[in-house]
Amino acid sequence: MLKTRVIPALLLRGAGLVKTTAFKSPVYVGDPINAIRIFNEKEVDELVLLDIAASRTGRGPAFSTIESIASECFMPVAYGGGISSVEQVRRILGLGVEKVVINAAALADPQIVRATADEFGSQAIVVSIDVKRKLLGRYEVYGDSGTRSTGHEPAAYARMMADLGAGEILLTAIDRDGTMKGYDIELVSKVASAVSIPVIASGGAGTIADFGVASKHGGAAAVAAGAMFVFHGPHRAVLITYPSHAELSAVLS
Amino acid sequence: MTVCTRCIMDTTDPDISFDAAGVCNHCHRYEEVARQRIIPAGQRQERLAQLVAEVKRAGEGKPYDCVIGVSGGVDSTYVAWVVKDLGLRPLAVHLDNGWNSELAVANIEKTLNKLGIDLYTHVIDWEEFQNLQISFLKASTPDGEVPTDHAIFALLYKIAAKQGLKHVITGTNVISEAILPEKWGYGYFDWSYVKDVHRRFGSARLSTYPHFSLLHLFYYVFLRRIRMVSVLNFIDYNKNQAMDILKNELGWVYYGGKHYESIYTRFYQAYLLPRKFDIDKRKAHYSNLVLSGQMTRPDALDAMKAPVYPANLLEEDRQYVIKKLNLDGQQFEEIMSLPRKTFLDYKNNRNVFAFAKRLVNSSRRLIG
Ligand SMILES: [Zn+2]
Repeated sequence: MLKTRVIPALLLRGAGLVKTTAFKSPVYVGDPINAIRIFNEKEVDELVLLDIAASRTGRGPAFSTIESIASECFMPVAYGGGISSVEQVRRILGLGVEKVVINAAALADPQIVRATADEFGSQAIVVSIDVKRKLLGRYEVYGDSGTRSTGHEPAAYARMMADLGAGEILLTAIDRDGTMKGYDIELVSKVASAVSIPVIASGGAGTIADFGVASKHGGAAAVAAGAMFVFHGPHRAVLITYPSHAELSAVLS
Repeated sequence: MTVCTRCIMDTTDPDISFDAAGVCNHCHRYEEVARQRIIPAGQRQERLAQLVAEVKRAGEGKPYDCVIGVSGGVDSTYVAWVVKDLGLRPLAVHLDNGWNSELAVANIEKTLNKLGIDLYTHVIDWEEFQNLQISFLKASTPDGEVPTDHAIFALLYKIAAKQGLKHVITGTNVISEAILPEKWGYGYFDWSYVKDVHRRFGSARLSTYPHFSLLHLFYYVFLRRIRMVSVLNFIDYNKNQAMDILKNELGWVYYGGKHYESIYTRFYQAYLLPRKFDIDKRKAHYSNLVLSGQMTRPDALDAMKAPVYPANLLEEDRQYVIKKLNLDGQQFEEIMSLPRKTFLDYKNNRNVFAFAKRLVNSSRRLIG
């Protein structure tokens, strides 16, 4: 296995997968079960599955969907979306999911990170942080799918999450999401150097070389990509891809 | 059971007939179709050069000059290779119906990257398509792939029209596809048939499903003058040689039986058709190869003795299909035991198409 994990990040909306750009304009990319079967055969290390409507609509995690997806996955899965209680985390981990991704609930009450880490272990708890770049290069953590300013500075917030017991940080640059223009390396580096837990860089991956940059210059322990693994070419045609081990090891070792 | 003395088609096709020498109607049809559509060897160079010049002229000043369909299978991949070899500038179109195998998407990716071809994909809403596929399963006709085939043609026409192009270059070919009993595969052009089946058995509204009525078809063919060109009929198409080229030059990988690039097609041909309809499509496939001189009849008969697909993998596919269609085992068994039907049990436009075909055959230049 490579020292930097390369993780497809799939966005669930209702029963289908979508891909957003800067957290907006979701494009339908297909049925999650088929996508996962393809990723299985491509020998993907790990998968992140985020339900982007679960918090917004207030309905919480769609347990039966999560279960049918988890049962199809050969690789470890991290699920996020609509999680607001320890009880829900217990139920999700019981469905065969390895990790849960907490975002809105941690912003609302950081103690959920401590409570879940205490009960299920830090390795099962990923805190997701969505960040916007403000004027003069200042960064700020945003909530509610990038629509609400929180006042938190990303590195300080990440440190707080790590102190509460988070096992990993999923760090997403909102304005890079879906653009395939490269990660926000400055952001990755700021957060990665502030915490000792692994940081997963997310938002902007467009080429395999971007992974190398995020790892070497940003200090990311893992890289996530969405658009790059589901779109192909100038028409952004849906086609699931994942680089070969040889291609990845050329930039990540 | 009676078997044709020239090919390996037999009386599992309910409409088969034999002449005094025991040669079946498919063999006679093959000869007729081959005569009409395969360009004679002496004329190929010239006809192909004419076609290429015509496609280039029609595409002048546009980002692409023709549309091709890609599925990851041998025929469509070979078309991509041939078209690039001829110096054309194709836009590749792919229909994602939710059943792509990893091999199919990897083949498409390698082909496009190696040949430098842009892709357009239409992803059918899965909940919609799932419902339509179940409609066809319940309709109990042996042509359950009609929803996919219809959508592919609708999409090819639609994209050609949108891009202002006149040529859709397809991988349909006489060499491997001329023989197909009508009841095994009727109707992919017939929206009224698809619509009627779905009206009777389905519930989801078909809002993202690409389709075309006769009126649309008329518009595409006669007003927009979009031609479907079967380019493989212009060349000496030998499947084994084609596969070697694709393997060596594109890194393309073979996936087993004909059209097994789709998991549903594999399941449908290898599991459902033999069990529910006593149909083994390999008979038509091998018969084609026998008639085009790419396989001997004894070899074809011998190949038929092998199982369609390994039993353990068939069972895996069966379970996956049931899960993916969101059925349970009992519902699936109920569907399997429904009485057999054919397209004739549903509303269809067969008579209109028969008429249109005669029309087209008398003016072949419109459809190629
Ligand atoms: Zn025959």
